[in-house]
Amino acid sequence: MANDRLRALEDVEKEIALVLQSAGTIVLELSKEKANASLLDRQLNQFQTSINRVESELSGQIRYLTQVATGQPHEGSTYSARKDCQMALNRAEYARVKLGELGRTCEMMLDPQT
Amino acid sequence: MAAQRVLPQSKESLLQSYNKRLKDDVRSILDNFTEIIKTAKVEDETQVSRATQAEQDHFEMHVRAANIVRAGESLMKLVSDLKQFLILNDFPSVNEAISLSNQQLRVLQEECDKKLISLRDEIAIDLYELEEAYYSSSCGQWDGVELPLCEAFHRQDSWGSPEMTSSTSHVNPEDSEHLGTQESMQRQHNGHGSSASDQHQS
Repeated sequence: MANDRLRALEDVEKEIALVLQSAGTIVLELSKEKANASLLDRQLNQFQTSINRVESELSGQIRYLTQVATGQPHEGSTYSARKDCQMALNRAEYARVKLGELGRTCEMMLDPQT
Repeated sequence: MAAQRVLPQSKESLLQSYNKRLKDDVRSILDNFTEIIKTAKVEDETQVSRATQAEQDHFEMHVRAANIVRAGESLMKLVSDLKQFLILNDFPSVNEAISLSNQQLRVLQEECDKKLISLRDEIAIDLYELEEAYYSSSCGQWDGVELPLCEAFHRQDSWGSPEMTSSTSHVNPEDSEHLGTQESMQRQHNGHGSSASDQHQS
């Protein structure tokens, strides 16, 4: 859910860049002696679509935040689960080290016999 | 209570300011772009000479283009502020992210512990066979005294190299504690081992 909203905002950033790019393309095309009408139409449609999309998306996000935001800080945390997981991984690592030592000792014992 | 009443107002005024910025920037982009297109139209009758008019139009277009770029940058800043506000204040998604993260960590921890327990069970079976072999062989005796497996293991380490002897002597107190815990663990988990050694002694 959080990722969807953040991804939508990143798409909005790309749309803003598209707005400026299409505006620049239109002005560049108008500066030529023979302007390509179809290109002008396409770029103008792109400009209008993008600016409308930017405005509607950002208004929607601000409306959602107005409904959801409180004045309080969020005090949730994943610390305990992360600590438990870290301790489990430490246990596994310790077991691995000890088994490695045991294996090396057995090999050392076997080598003189072979 | 006064502090609690102040905070929501600032959040509300912040969101209202975001709305205002959005409207102003979009309005600025549209108006300036429309004016550039209008200025691009070549007029036959001008109040000043054509060159002066062209120069004026050129300067005006420059300024309007700069305004469009400034409004675009301001919109980018607004998006960045909204992202920050969303991360800090969107409680439903923060709660969901926290619970998802907790669930994944718990699953990983349970999987790790399950594998360690199965490993412990397998090693206990192998250790039983090793102890059987050890206590029934001559290696289990040293100067006529029957040695526990962990003690013999420790002595083998010290026989290995003279350097190790000095290092083991330094860490002896820790090792003796470690041996103590190892022996107690063995007695707890390998009841059959201790019973085998009891049988040998009797």
